[in-house]
Amino acid sequence: MATRTDTSTTTSGQSTASGGGSGERHFGTINVIFLIVLTAVMIVPFINVLAVAFSSGLSSMDPGIKLWPSEWSFQGFKTVWVNVGLQRAFINSVIVTSIGTFLHVILATFAGYVLIQRNLPGKRLMIVFVLATMAIPSELIMIPLFIVNKNLGLLNTLAALVFSGLVSGFSILLMRNFFQSVPYDLWESAKIDGAGDFHIFRSIYLPLSTAGLATIALFELVSRWNQFLPVILYISDSSKYTLQVALQALVTEGMATSGTSMVTPNVRMAGIVIAILPLVILYPFMQRYFVEGITIGSVKE
Amino acid sequence: MGNTLRLMKTHMALYVMIIPIIAYFAVFVYYPLYEGVTASFQEFNLLGARPYVGFENYTTAWNDPAFWQVVRNTLLIGFGVLIFGFLPPIIVALSLNELRLVLFKKFSQTVVYLPHLFSWVVIGGMWIYLLSPSGGLVNELLALIDAGPIRFLTSTTWARIMMIALPIWKDMGYAAIIYLASISTISPTLYEAARIDGATRLQQTYQITVPMLAPTMKVVLMLNILGLLRIFDQIYVMRNPVVKRKVDVLMTYVYDTGILQFEVGYASAVSVMVLVATLFLTAIVWYVTGFGREG
Repeated sequence: MATRTDTSTTTSGQSTASGGGSGERHFGTINVIFLIVLTAVMIVPFINVLAVAFSSGLSSMDPGIKLWPSEWSFQGFKTVWVNVGLQRAFINSVIVTSIGTFLHVILATFAGYVLIQRNLPGKRLMIVFVLATMAIPSELIMIPLFIVNKNLGLLNTLAALVFSGLVSGFSILLMRNFFQSVPYDLWESAKIDGAGDFHIFRSIYLPLSTAGLATIALFELVSRWNQFLPVILYISDSSKYTLQVALQALVTEGMATSGTSMVTPNVRMAGIVIAILPLVILYPFMQRYFVEGITIGSVKE
Repeated sequence: MGNTLRLMKTHMALYVMIIPIIAYFAVFVYYPLYEGVTASFQEFNLLGARPYVGFENYTTAWNDPAFWQVVRNTLLIGFGVLIFGFLPPIIVALSLNELRLVLFKKFSQTVVYLPHLFSWVVIGGMWIYLLSPSGGLVNELLALIDAGPIRFLTSTTWARIMMIALPIWKDMGYAAIIYLASISTISPTLYEAARIDGATRLQQTYQITVPMLAPTMKVVLMLNILGLLRIFDQIYVMRNPVVKRKVDVLMTYVYDTGILQFEVGYASAVSVMVLVATLFLTAIVWYVTGFGREG
């Protein structure tokens, strides 16, 4: 039914666009059907998760296709938040994400600003030093990183998680690109007026690059929230677990021997809803910057 | 020389700003890299002497069937994602680009991109539930046509297929956005000219859009190849004892042997080999696609 309405709209849209024949019309129709199917394949899993999360424990175990809660209940959320202890992990995630993102952005802007300077002795060396880190994925040095954190006494501290990925060559490069679009004349005239390097950075470059700041802040925020390997590397004390790791234990529990699980599906799906909620809320504000960031990061470089 | 010194002095603030960055990379990237390479040639002890053993860790790995099994798994899953995941985002982007219904287009684009935003714990946890043989959505749908139930994650063949299919499902929208952005930069005059020549929309797509996307395809391919050997989260979350041997990849193997069994020398040797392979693969791709020569 939905298909028919969509088809008619497309057909009229199509004819104004190109005035094509019946072949064109079929193409447009098939295209719309394809996208409806695709959208369904992407969204139905999430609808299923929501429906189960808001069902009661007993009804969530019933067989059948669930696209709407069979018996409305917030019990899953209550259980996962209080009894399973996701609350503590959630707070840990908020702490690590906010502090980590804040420091990450500051350091990236510092480096980006230094690396656009002309006539700075040693700049070439700095650029090589920064860019070469991008060829070394952190996964490949996880074992020595574990040892370094151990030697610094950072194991089982949230600080280890903040330090993980605190500076990245990618963010520095992105920030440098944004700063480069600020006219150099501004820098020169401020210099002639006697302004110091840091003053110019704070009063000219930062205010003119808010889009860049937002872009790397949002990228970092998402990747911090989703951070996983560093947590299972450095944290063994469950009171320091972040949301992702606490959730991992919950959602993969008993999967191989399905049926013996102690937690009902509504509890697990409630955990998933809690983990994605902050990102879903932020997403409308982020979308613009994401598209910008993805394109700058891939097309420009 | 005196000039350089004077310049350095006037830019003192800049050096102070870059010091934390240099220090960070030194402590958390370059030193660990050095330590990792060193450890790969040592018999590792947390306390006490670490005797050098030459290439022993490397030969141990080289002669270990378990190592070759994870190499096979990694290549199979990695190249599977690379090959089967190449076309879908292009098709999605082209299809979205043809759509004239603005609202539906926006909605569809958002929905397709959404899974990329979430962690593998979320996506993996969700699909473990959806693919469950008892009451999972997918098997319930299969039951409608009297098929299944299929043990998607506990049969080795299906588990491998899922390890390839799910990352494609998750990241398709991300690459599609890159393609869409690239399509929007194609000059409208090209289409104008084609329309005057009587080209249909389908012809315009194949004759103009697709060829103009070639540079972007190279970039996306490049990004994907770089990630190929680093797969970790998805396997760690979705593996289980039944299929572990057939889906474990290099990075989960390094984690298991190095962190859980604490065979640091051995796991470091494997890491170094993967690092060398990654650099090698990158160089080949740069050369073949001519990616480095354009910029």
